[in-house]
Amino acid sequence: MATKVTTPGKKNLQTTLEIGKAIRAYYEGVKEAKSAGKPVIWSYGLVPREIFHAADAPVLYLEHLPLMIGAKQLSGRYIQLAEEEGFSRDVCAFHRCFLGCAVAKDRDPYLEKLFVSPDLIIASNLPCMSESKSFLYAADHHNCPYYFLDAPINTWGKDIPDYAIEYFAGQLQGAIDSMEEHGFKVDMDKLKESINLTKKMMGLWNEIDNCRKTVPTPMSTVDGITAAYPLIQLPGTQLGVTLFERLLEELKEKVEKKQGVIEDEKLRLMWFGVPPFYNMGLFNYVEKYGAVVVKSMVEYIAGGAFDPSKMDPKKPLESLAYKALVDIVNPTYPNMVDFIVKAVEEFKIDGLIGVVKRSCGLLPGYMRLVKDAVYKDKGIPTSIFDLDGLDIREYDDVTSKANLDSFVESLLASKRRQ
Amino acid sequence: MGTLETMKDIFDNPNKIIEEWKKDGRKVVGHRCMYVPEEIIHAAGMLPYPTFGTPEPIKKADSYFQPCACEFVRNLFDLALDKKFGFLDSMVLCNTCDAVRHLYNMWDTYVDSVPCYMVNNPQKMYDESGFKFYRMELEKFKKLMEDLSGNKITDESLKKSIELYDETRKLLKELNDLRKRDIPAISGSEFLVTSMASMLMPKEKANPLLRKLIDEVKNREIKNADGPRILLTGSIIDNPTLIELVEDMGGVVAVDDLCTSAKYFWYTTKPNNDPMDAIVRFNLERTLCACAHPSEDRYDYLQELIREFNVDGIIYFNIKYCHPFVYESAIFRKKLEEEVPTLTLEVDHSLSGLGQLKTRVQAFIEML
Repeated sequence: MATKVTTPGKKNLQTTLEIGKAIRAYYEGVKEAKSAGKPVIWSYGLVPREIFHAADAPVLYLEHLPLMIGAKQLSGRYIQLAEEEGFSRDVCAFHRCFLGCAVAKDRDPYLEKLFVSPDLIIASNLPCMSESKSFLYAADHHNCPYYFLDAPINTWGKDIPDYAIEYFAGQLQGAIDSMEEHGFKVDMDKLKESINLTKKMMGLWNEIDNCRKTVPTPMSTVDGITAAYPLIQLPGTQLGVTLFERLLEELKEKVEKKQGVIEDEKLRLMWFGVPPFYNMGLFNYVEKYGAVVVKSMVEYIAGGAFDPSKMDPKKPLESLAYKALVDIVNPTYPNMVDFIVKAVEEFKIDGLIGVVKRSCGLLPGYMRLVKDAVYKDKGIPTSIFDLDGLDIREYDDVTSKANLDSFVESLLASKRRQ
Repeated sequence: MGTLETMKDIFDNPNKIIEEWKKDGRKVVGHRCMYVPEEIIHAAGMLPYPTFGTPEPIKKADSYFQPCACEFVRNLFDLALDKKFGFLDSMVLCNTCDAVRHLYNMWDTYVDSVPCYMVNNPQKMYDESGFKFYRMELEKFKKLMEDLSGNKITDESLKKSIELYDETRKLLKELNDLRKRDIPAISGSEFLVTSMASMLMPKEKANPLLRKLIDEVKNREIKNADGPRILLTGSIIDNPTLIELVEDMGGVVAVDDLCTSAKYFWYTTKPNNDPMDAIVRFNLERTLCACAHPSEDRYDYLQELIREFNVDGIIYFNIKYCHPFVYESAIFRKKLEEEVPTLTLEVDHSLSGLGQLKTRVQAFIEML
């Protein structure tokens, strides 16, 4: 009999459990809307969600669905289905997984609870080309319209020129027009209000981050990844604001009481790459050494590293365009590398763990750049190893743990020498 | 030496072109991917030089890129680290696939000897707002080329460059049309070498050679032309070995939709008094690269090739981890197979595993 080697992550915070409930409620809402005859949109987490909230549109986010499936260890079956459709193992496991979900003739009861077919697909090439192409297949399969939102890559750093903002804002307007053509009404006043709410959420997220910088940290990335969910699906909503307010309150209390994730915090780690969604317990694995994975880069992929003062409710589309284009995952490299170097310093990180998802065209390309930058600027080492966070078929528990063991042990030895 | 041999010599020894060009102190600007407008580089008095890889194994680049990045891009970066592109005065990339975006990141960070610039092109075609955005980017690029060369680019000089480059495209297309015949006048491998040599050469030299070649081969018939007619598509092929492999197995490579072939010359610039606008529209009023949208455009174009070149079968040669074509082949496969049998093959840019490829190609050709 095979031994089960994966474990769920151990959460420490009450609010992240509440966020978990909000996630389930969100999916139930989408399902109910579809049953009530409302059209449903399929989209991707980096397409600004505020435009969907402003239309009360039920949206299934096709990068979030695979991670939900992954967390239940069901991803392998759906990834396999996409491969049978002709999608090579070289292309993104998230997209293979979602395509498998899209084409599956029968679905697991868990997926069936989350899955609804699309009436409109809105996808982008931000941050990578996978979604813009794989959604084409899904649109064809479900015979539904597709709007492609073209995002220029960021070759400017923080100062995005007006012509680029204008271009992407125009793309957003195109997405709104497409929604209106297909039965949705985007309320522009509501959109403006959502900009205010997003601004508030970003401000709260920065305060949450500040709490996490304290030693010992009151929140590890096991909670952090769930906590980042509102950034991905709930920006521009009161629910997102309320959840972050509660989280901040809980963290402040822990900081005041000096309550860390573990009692004797010896090492602080940061994770770069896709987390092991089918085995979040791997993050807890290092705790036996007194190490905590304080942060994970994926918590920031939907505007988490963003300066909220840039949001102007009077210019909703331009504000959303700026937020999207300046996102750390929008190539090219300066914003990503600067962000990681800064985070390593601010979160007092002792070591960076870089995991390579073989089928990702985006994140593995940053590994060497990030490794060199954090070592050169901060003297902090990085360990890089293969780990596909979604495709459980590729997971090697022994090797992954051995990689973590050797890295953490060498960091501890280095600390002892200091 | 016949003109085909001359083309082969240029293809094999591109350094001769560089040496000759640089003799007078003129500059060379390397580039990769089709949204870098060569005409602007040329109008500034510099030689646009399309960078190709080699089938050599990768040595240094694998400690920078993870092995899951496109092997062609890793190969280019390897050559850059090895200073094989040391003759370039600048390198220009554009926004195509994720791998090329990372090539920019790596080059900009680790290759000090040759500065690298990124042209930020839209990936959505036929969109007026995209034209405006691209125009702004190209104006910046034009200024950069003026500064690099020390030469002002005027509308007149740009128009002349457009005319010259269009002439090359027309001549390559005319030569390519000789492959439509039942017995083509030029083989697929000969054509690829000619096309790539023409891309490498100054067009002032390429055009007379192409005219001469058309004249030389127009009454020619290639040998062993009774096999099935193949359309070759997929990732960049910058070496005739794969085409030769298909030909050796009895296929007739009737047409190839490659960055190094048809994609380079299929369209010409539309008449326009504003040469910058002409370049913008030339690049954004067509979907030739699999990275761009709408994809339907590429599907229609493949249909056109199938019809015009009387194609019996399609082979996708996808370089491992070349995401644009790996997606495209999966998306188009079912529809294409309704028209003609289609074979999708994953290949290494370094051309390892040719034996296994040969078996699959042979089986496909026999099946046709």
